[in-house]
Amino acid sequence: MKRLITLLLLCGLPLMTNAFDLGIISKGIDAVKKGAEANRDIPESEEVQIGAGVTSNILGTTKLVDNPELQRYVNHVGTWLASQTERPGLKWHFGVIDTDTVNAFSMPGGYVLITRGLFSQLHSEAELAGVLGHEISHVVQKHHLRAIQKAAGREALGQLAQLAADQNGTQGGQNVAKVVKGGTELYAHGLDKEDEFEADRLGVVVAARGGYNPYGLVAVLQTLGAINPNDASLKLLFDTHPTPSDRLDRLSAAMGDKLDDLGNKVDDVPRFDKLKH
Amino acid sequence: MKRWKRLLPWVSAWLLAPLCLAAEMGSVVRQAELKQKPFFDAPKVTDLAASAVVEVVSRQGAWIQVKTKDGQVGWMKMLNLRTGSGDVKAGSTTSGVLAGLSLFKTGSSGTTATTGVRGLSEEDLKNAQPNPAELAKLEGYGTTADDAAKFAKAGKLVPQKDLAYLPKPSSSGDNKPDDKSH
Repeated sequence: MKRLITLLLLCGLPLMTNAFDLGIISKGIDAVKKGAEANRDIPESEEVQIGAGVTSNILGTTKLVDNPELQRYVNHVGTWLASQTERPGLKWHFGVIDTDTVNAFSMPGGYVLITRGLFSQLHSEAELAGVLGHEISHVVQKHHLRAIQKAAGREALGQLAQLAADQNGTQGGQNVAKVVKGGTELYAHGLDKEDEFEADRLGVVVAARGGYNPYGLVAVLQTLGAINPNDASLKLLFDTHPTPSDRLDRLSAAMGDKLDDLGNKVDDVPRFDKLKH
Repeated sequence: MKRWKRLLPWVSAWLLAPLCLAAEMGSVVRQAELKQKPFFDAPKVTDLAASAVVEVVSRQGAWIQVKTKDGQVGWMKMLNLRTGSGDVKAGSTTSGVLAGLSLFKTGSSGTTATTGVRGLSEEDLKNAQPNPAELAKLEGYGTTADDAAKFAKAGKLVPQKDLAYLPKPSSSGDNKPDDKSH
């Protein structure tokens, strides 16, 4: 509907210039158009394009670890967990990237990257499930997509031609390309803290739905909390996330002992240790 | 050459050792009983005071095994422990409690092993250029839900299909978990 209003405004523009001050009209169009961009439902195909683009950029900074067995393993755990969520139909991709930096990233459309530095801190498959559960939850809740969309609505996406381009699809790619650069920068700034707390809260349930001990993520946050916070490998993570202590406080408030009966579920599987060594 | 190859795992183990050996220290969020076993009705080892500093030994289910300053070992609920140091912000549960620990100040902790190593930075992300070949590689590793289900079965994972997400807690603070050990 908003798109329709914008198009009507655009079509009517030449006729109206005589009657109205041009500046006021273009301001009005801007507002409608940006509102439309910030609120429209991004189709899944476009979400996947944005996610693939941002993932390609992150892989441009850091390549995958050259270990196909490890990569397939992480895809198995991740895809299994993702199939327990509300977005099982996405084509999910998981990868381990080759850096000491301790972090994990999820991109719109089902792309998830975890660093070698974080993987090396994990003690069990349940802990990996906790980390992947958190990242998968960001995708399920479309946290990054919404943040990217919000930023795009404010800035670049407001070009007059783009709403029309969205509709015929041929220029959709260009539209996406513009979003991708800004989208990658989002990973340098981080999401809203509440999104991170929510991903923790949902992530432990995603891991538990997969049959893992839900306390895997709790253990990982404690491990991260124990590392010297001045360690360079943690800088990006700590710059873009609430502290592990804050996250544990929030998880504690949400979990209580609700999931304790599932604590006897799978903690570890020998295949995890084989891969770590 | 052969001998060198045999030594390789040991050499790499030695290189990684600092990260593994560093003791994980934590502080107790609230007064709790240290239990002999990871169960609510297990006998008590001792009482842990709020803010007591303990060393992490191992974890099981919802429980964490810790060692007190007096050398007593036992179990407490995992969510009643916060690890950390100076990163803890004012107002947070462990504020200041661990800040004075010498662990991070002396540099004796191996967890500083990667300090100075240039990793993935904010700048890198802002200047990122696409790598389509690497993206294709990533997509090539993808699996199907069917294969993942087989993998899960092999790991004896039993799905908990309809487990509901946890609602956002009404207060943002640290609500007390329902710790029956009190």
